[in-house]
This record gives sequence, structure tokens and C-alpha cells, in this order.
Amino acid sequence: MSHSVEIDPKEAWNGGVSPFRLSYGKIFMWFFLISDALTFGGLLCAYGFIRHKYSDVWPKAENVFTHFPFVEQHIPLAYVGLMTFILIMSSVTMVLAVEAGHRNDKRGVLVWMFWTIIGGLAFVGSQAWEWYHFIVGTDVGALRMVWDPEVGNYVQKTIYGANMTVNEYGAPQFANFFFFITGFHGTHVFSGVVINFVIFMNVIMGTYERRGHYEMVEKVGLYWHFVDLVWVFVFTFFYLL
Amino acid sequence: MEFHDDYPEYEKMAHHDEAQGKKMRRTLWNVFWIMLIITVFELIIGFMAPGHGWSGTLWLKTLFITLTIAKAGFIVMAFMHLGHEVKFFKYTVLAPYTVFMLYCIFICLNEGTYSGKPANRTPIDQLLVKQQEDLRAGHGHQGGGHDAPAEHGAEHH
Repeated sequence: MSHSVEIDPKEAWNGGVSPFRLSYGKIFMWFFLISDALTFGGLLCAYGFIRHKYSDVWPKAENVFTHFPFVEQHIPLAYVGLMTFILIMSSVTMVLAVEAGHRNDKRGVLVWMFWTIIGGLAFVGSQAWEWYHFIVGTDVGALRMVWDPEVGNYVQKTIYGANMTVNEYGAPQFANFFFFITGFHGTHVFSGVVINFVIFMNVIMGTYERRGHYEMVEKVGLYWHFVDLVWVFVFTFFYLL
Repeated sequence: MEFHDDYPEYEKMAHHDEAQGKKMRRTLWNVFWIMLIITVFELIIGFMAPGHGWSGTLWLKTLFITLTIAKAGFIVMAFMHLGHEVKFFKYTVLAPYTVFMLYCIFICLNEGTYSGKPANRTPIDQLLVKQQEDLRAGHGHQGGGHDAPAEHGAEHH
């Protein structure tokens, strides 16, 4: 932050120093995140396109995701609200770990990274639970037109739950995009948890204490905040709108 | 590991003492509370929307997207620390992304408007839409349970 060596902007691009005043590792973590963000942006744009096109048969999220653990009643949006809270919370613990790293406070880094990993695991578990209820569906099911290869036409069938070809709640594309985008995001969360765990072990072994700085925690923190950032958009476009 | 050159140690530039850390932690927790309040507000509005007939209205969509971009700004600027980086680096990260995403959104709206027109629908699309309409008009929902999605869809059109 303010401690950095002051560089004259006119001199900054003459070589010998980084004009961005950042290490190459952090710069390239940012560049990786831009490319990853473009992937998610493209997916969400495609989702918006298809959703607009099939808006008359598109399911409403508040009718689909109504389950909450240990509760019999159907409460729309409550569970996904909890998931969002868990992920924002783990983002805060991550940034506190980074802050502790800037003070070379090994104990602080360990405590906050531990809670970040717990938060990440809780989120992945919640997503698995959400998928389970979406795949199983309701007890009543719903009548849908399904392609029957033997008849060679669409026939009426009662459908329970959703998979890649049929969806009880409406357009099958909703299920396709839901599985793909939340699955892609869940993969990012899972890999984030794994990377966090590796860095956590390195902190325990004192790797960064010997190195004199905890920049690796900062870099993995960037990735973790990015995962939170993507979820903010997925939450809006799948559940709220 | 033993590598030295004349470059400044960029990795250690963000180091600070306990007093500054305390100030930073207060800022971070404030950002957390703002984001939590925004999320709870979004959920309350989203929960109330179907009962008040707000679902799918333009102002609701605008509100949700604005709040989402506000939250994204807090994450990128405060949590990911981009707000404190050098000006050139901010633009290096944000400018290409903004340009590509605006183009992507433009092309989606443009092509979506074209392919959404009934005359431009493919035969398969026309078939699907017609079948859904027949299904709604003729048979309705089998079980008639509390969460009959086909009927919910019909109410709003």
C-alpha cells in the first residue's frame, strides 16, 4: 500500500522496475482471473439469451428452490440466501488472513485460513444438497412433453425432477444451464478449497515465514474472492431475476 | 530460492504494522456489513416480489442488477485490493473485460431480438411453444399440488 517505493510515473516505463508496482505472480493471477471471468461472463450471457427466448416456459426460481434442511414448509430463496452468506463470510475470513500475512502474523493467517476452508466446504456441501433436491424433484411431478423415439413424436409424460433432457419445472434448458454454470462454479469452489488447504499446510510448515512474506496467501485469496464474485452474479441471474 | 536482483521487493510492499492493520480490519468489516445488508435486502424484495406482482418488472430487474454490480465493485475494489493498486493496473484489468462483456451483451440483445421474433423461430421452436400452449389450455397440471410450475408460468402471461 502506502509503504511502496515511490516511482515517478514518467520513469515507470523506462525499465528496471515494475510499472504496476506488483510482483509478476500477482499480475498473472489477475490475468488468469480476467480470462476466467470472461468464461463465466460468456456462460451467463448465453443463459440470458436462451432464457429470454423461452421466457414463456422458463421456470421461476422461487417455485423450484424451496427446500430448507430440517424444515417441512417450503421457504423460497432461504437456503440460497444462507449459501450466499456462507460464501461472503468465507471471503471476509480470507481477506483477514491476507491482512494477518501483511503483519507476518503466522497464527492469524492459520486461524483465518482455517475458517475459510470450513466455509468453502460448507458451501460445496450446500450446493450438493441443492442439486440433490433439484434432481429428485417434487412428489407430484408435472406433465411435460417428452420426445419418444419409438412414437417418433412428443408425448405427454409425468416428470419428476430434472436432468439433462427433461425438467419437471419447465424448459429443459433451465436445468442444462443450472447444472453447467453452478457446476462450473462449484468446481472452482472445490479447487479453491484444495489450493487453500495446500497453502494452509505450507503456512503450518513455516514456508512463508522463512521466505519473509505471505504473498502466496494473497494470491490464493485473489482466487477465492473471484469465486465469491462469480457467485454474486450466479445468485442474481438464477435465483433473484 | 536465493535469487536477488536490484528490483524492489514488491512482495513486501503491502506490509504494515498493527495500528494500520486495525484500521484496515475495520474497513473490511464495514464492507462485509454493507454486503450483508444488500444481500438481505435483495432476498426480502425477491421474497415479496411474487405476492405484489413485481416479478419480471423492469424496475425490479434494474434494481437487482445495480445492487449486484455494487456488490461486485466492493469485492473487487476492497477485498481484492484493486482500488489500492496503481492506476495503470486498474485499467489493465478492467478495460479489456468491460469492452468484451459490453460487446457480448450487445450481441446477445441484438441477436436475441432477431431470433425471438415469431417469424424467425425455427420449426422445432414453434412446435415446442405450440405444444406448451396446448398443454396449458387442455390438460393443466396432473397433481394440482402447491408448486405446480406450469400453472405459475401461465398466470403471468
